Amino acid sequence: MTITALIPLPVAIPLIAAAFIALTGSWLGRRVSDSVAIASAGTNLVLTLLILRGTWSHTYVYWFGNWWPRSNNVVLGICFSVDAIGAALAVLVSLLTTAALIFSWRIFEDTENHFQPLMLIFMAAMCGFSFTGDLFNLFVFFELMSVSAFALCGLKTLEPAPLQGAFNFAVVNTIGAFMILMGISLLYARTGALNFAQVGHSLGSQSDALVLVAFLLICVGYLAKSAIVPFHFWLADAHAVAPTPVCVLFSGIMIELGIYAVARIYWTIFQGPLAAHASEMRNILLVMATITAVLGGFMCYAEHHLKRLLAFSTISHAGLMLAGVGILTSKALAGFVIYVFSHGLIKGGLFLCAGIVLHRLHKIGEHHLHGRGRGMWFTAALFIIGALGLATCGPFGTLLGESMISDGAKQVHQGWFAYIFMFVETLTAAAVLRATFRIFFGWGKPAPTDKSSRIDEGPETKPEGVTPVLMFVPAAALILLGICITGVPQLRSAGRANAELFMDQPRYASSVLNNVQLAAPEEKKPESLTPSIIRCLATGLLALLLALATVFRNRLGTALKFTRSLELGNSLVRKVHSGHPGDYVAWLAFGTALLGGMFFWFLR
Amino acid sequence: MIFAHVPYFVAGWIFLWGLYGIVTSKNLVHQVICLTVVQTSTYILLLAIGFKTGGTAPVFADIPVGTVVVDPLVQALMLTDVVVEATVMALLLSMVVKANELAGTIDPEELKIMQG
Repeated sequence: MTITALIPLPVAIPLIAAAFIALTGSWLGRRVSDSVAIASAGTNLVLTLLILRGTWSHTYVYWFGNWWPRSNNVVLGICFSVDAIGAALAVLVSLLTTAALIFSWRIFEDTENHFQPLMLIFMAAMCGFSFTGDLFNLFVFFELMSVSAFALCGLKTLEPAPLQGAFNFAVVNTIGAFMILMGISLLYARTGALNFAQVGHSLGSQSDALVLVAFLLICVGYLAKSAIVPFHFWLADAHAVAPTPVCVLFSGIMIELGIYAVARIYWTIFQGPLAAHASEMRNILLVMATITAVLGGFMCYAEHHLKRLLAFSTISHAGLMLAGVGILTSKALAGFVIYVFSHGLIKGGLFLCAGIVLHRLHKIGEHHLHGRGRGMWFTAALFIIGALGLATCGPFGTLLGESMISDGAKQVHQGWFAYIFMFVETLTAAAVLRATFRIFFGWGKPAPTDKSSRIDEGPETKPEGVTPVLMFVPAAALILLGICITGVPQLRSAGRANAELFMDQPRYASSVLNNVQLAAPEEKKPESLTPSIIRCLATGLLALLLALATVFRNRLGTALKFTRSLELGNSLVRKVHSGHPGDYVAWLAFGTALLGGMFFWFLR
Repeated sequence: MIFAHVPYFVAGWIFLWGLYGIVTSKNLVHQVICLTVVQTSTYILLLAIGFKTGGTAPVFADIPVGTVVVDPLVQALMLTDVVVEATVMALLLSMVVKANELAGTIDPEELKIMQG
């Protein structure tokens, strides 16, 4: 089968290209390295799109070295088991990497560094992460992705802030990785297997303390990667200081892959053991999702460092995505995938726009930039479209995702979550709009400052009076693709059919262990979008009003005082985000203990 | 039989002490070393899982098939773990060196640049 033969290539090709660039880069020069890297990422995009087309209706399993299980459900080899959801995430990985690499044509032009090889390794690891069907393989790709991410984050070694961000990022995520490894070892001790399908098959429905501890450790590890409160502290430090093209990948897909891993592991392994406690599980995840979304939203509004603002917006959207998984229905899961895809495109585009601002104006703090962006109308337009995309106000893919997650929440009698969506999207979109009004239109008074916004980021580029095409086009393309994705025929019904396949543990096990090819079930007719459209228009309007009220509060009177306190944020919450790796690890330990307590209380 | 569980408790114990070290550390180099302490707990856990009483090394070149051996797979896991973490430690230590050059301090308390 031709599709099966393609499956390992999105991991293999970038690794080879990365090695090639690392070896020959200094002889061939910067432009050749750039071209090879972009060609490799583009090839990945084509390959993953072909794989996605193939997996749209069927799953594929690829066994390395042809070590498929010969008898008695015993897996000795390692497999990639690809379904449409994994393939869609790999497409997003390749798309964002391609855009980021094109954008970076103009970045770090005069310095010798390892940017392109690291980006390609990062891409290969994330593709492997979304394809793999093996617990330990998942861990290895997780580590490969983490290590290249740490290095990419600290790439600007001439400033102390990126070093601090990368250090915090590395310490928290490495401890998370150790927890994952311990969880995997416990599962291996119990079942003697590492393949998802075989571990799930051997566990059956037996649940005891060991299984719960393993689930806890694996969950915490991956949730630390996906920046769920209280494991989120590293994200804002790292995203705010990483080079712009790297932020695109961090916010657009790396975080989301952590949530994907929790979903994959829950449905292939722990679904059986925890079957009796599905509703308690749902409540725990929804509580975490809500806290993350709301806290991230408030912090996002209180930030005035443009990239840090976007970073907190990512945290709050990660909460919304966790809800898509945590509702535990096929509809919400399909909504999760669509939301991740469109959010990745829009957030990636917004980060690139922030990169354009940094390139043109050499500052990133909102108060420094006040009114200095006049004349950059195209960039301003992209910011506004991106903000509307965050508010799901308009024909964006996020609208479809929001409506499916909210409908899923209603199905399980948690309809209130739709209002969390509205609230959080209002805050995050209004924060972007507010910054746009101040930076590009010069409206109102300059923004207040905070500790982070006073930190200058060193320029990534040589100064220039116009926005280079190679910077503008990737940003515009990503944001417009966030709109075009709604045009994919039967997106919602196909998403739902594939989500049902994703959640069907016995069928997944038979597809891997007995080499049965699965077909996606009958597509269902999607429900009406009207209630969501009304909600989303209201969200967009509220966001616009909030942004205007914040910008013009001095002119409009005392009733708008609340926007000032909203913008200054809670000093205690700010203090908690201390920038000290020790504090973050203490929070990680506290969160693990709390989550463990909840697991043992509710899931036994 | 009670002793069969000792390695698991040791692993948990070391893990927590490593975390304590990271949380209270006043020196980035010390903090990185504490991270390796945390990592050591994973070695002990893997050893405990792979160990078989009376088992020998799983190399079948000169022992008869059917001999009791320890689990060969955990060694592969541990090796991967060692390699990956060596990379992380090297990267972290090089960041500490750079931080010392740029900020003139390796106290995490004084390196809190991005915060709030």
